[in-house]
Amino acid sequence: MTVLHLIWTFAQLSVLGFGGGKGIIPQMHADAVDRYHWISSQQFTQFYTIGKLVPGPTTIFAALVGYAATPARPLLGAAAAALAMFVPSSAIMVAFDAFWERFQASPWRLIISRGLAPAIVGLVWSSVETIARGTPAGAVPYVVAAVVAFLMLRTKIGAPLLIVLAGAVGVVALR
Amino acid sequence: MPADAQPAPSLASIALTFAAITSTAFGGGQKASIRQQVLARGWMDHERFMDGLEIAQVLPGPNILNLAIYCGQRVRGIPGAIAAFLGTAIPPFLIVLAAGALYFKFASNPYVHGGLLGCAAGALGLTVGNALELTWDERTDWLRIVLVAVTALAVSFLRMPLLLVLVVFGGIGMVREYLRSRT
Repeated sequence: MTVLHLIWTFAQLSVLGFGGGKGIIPQMHADAVDRYHWISSQQFTQFYTIGKLVPGPTTIFAALVGYAATPARPLLGAAAAALAMFVPSSAIMVAFDAFWERFQASPWRLIISRGLAPAIVGLVWSSVETIARGTPAGAVPYVVAAVVAFLMLRTKIGAPLLIVLAGAVGVVALR
Repeated sequence: MPADAQPAPSLASIALTFAAITSTAFGGGQKASIRQQVLARGWMDHERFMDGLEIAQVLPGPNILNLAIYCGQRVRGIPGAIAAFLGTAIPPFLIVLAAGALYFKFASNPYVHGGLLGCAAGALGLTVGNALELTWDERTDWLRIVLVAVTALAVSFLRMPLLLVLVVFGGIGMVREYLRSRT
């Protein structure tokens, strides 16, 4: 039963994952934590963090949600969640090939991508709130977050290295 | 040399090409790696690649995965798309499972726990940076900034569902763009 819920949940997130999937984090938290109680807020934030740390799409962390949601058969849950996360959007991409010559010259291309952008950006701000719910409160985590945000915007240091550096601060200061 | 003059690549070489990229490259570097590989292999020209990149970014799904599927489909049709999907998706899946296995084994160790909390703060910072960067891009139009703010408030305080957000606030944004395109 859980596996079917996983598939249904992540398949919906997959087809709604406009903007590269940046906007789905709040809804994923609402489903995985608040609705189905598969994982805690803290786990959600840590899985998201692992998603940012590994190569490939961040949303691959859906596999970890599936893994934790099905303790009896974790690999089944992980595979189901990952496939549901990636197959529907991929199928749309494949199916779109038939329309694509027409879409090329169409003004709708810009209307859709530019039109959706502000909502996606708003969802990214909500993701900040979602991720913060699973981050410990206090001066150290917030200072670390602020420094990382600054370094990301002002330097060329890559995201995985920034996370590792933040982790090193955590080993010393958040134990 | 035009792409048509090249023999079509094998499905295995499509899968392995994307597997190599997705298991080593991060973030924005992945798109550049895909571009470099498909051009070097003569699978398509720059213009076709850029068309695909744009479609990959408009449609739902991770940009890199959509882009890989586009490239696979251009050179070998639907089997090529499937090969590209598998090549792009399987390595991150295995890597994230390995990372998850370590997480479940060691998360209760106090040093690891501290490190994870630090990493989480780092990921929070990246998300803040991303939000700031994206918001800066919207500054040209007051309505777009208002939409950003209203969406964030509606989701974080009213827990508005994603589908409704895209229909309502995405819809307003699209109407705005549509009207602008007519003038």
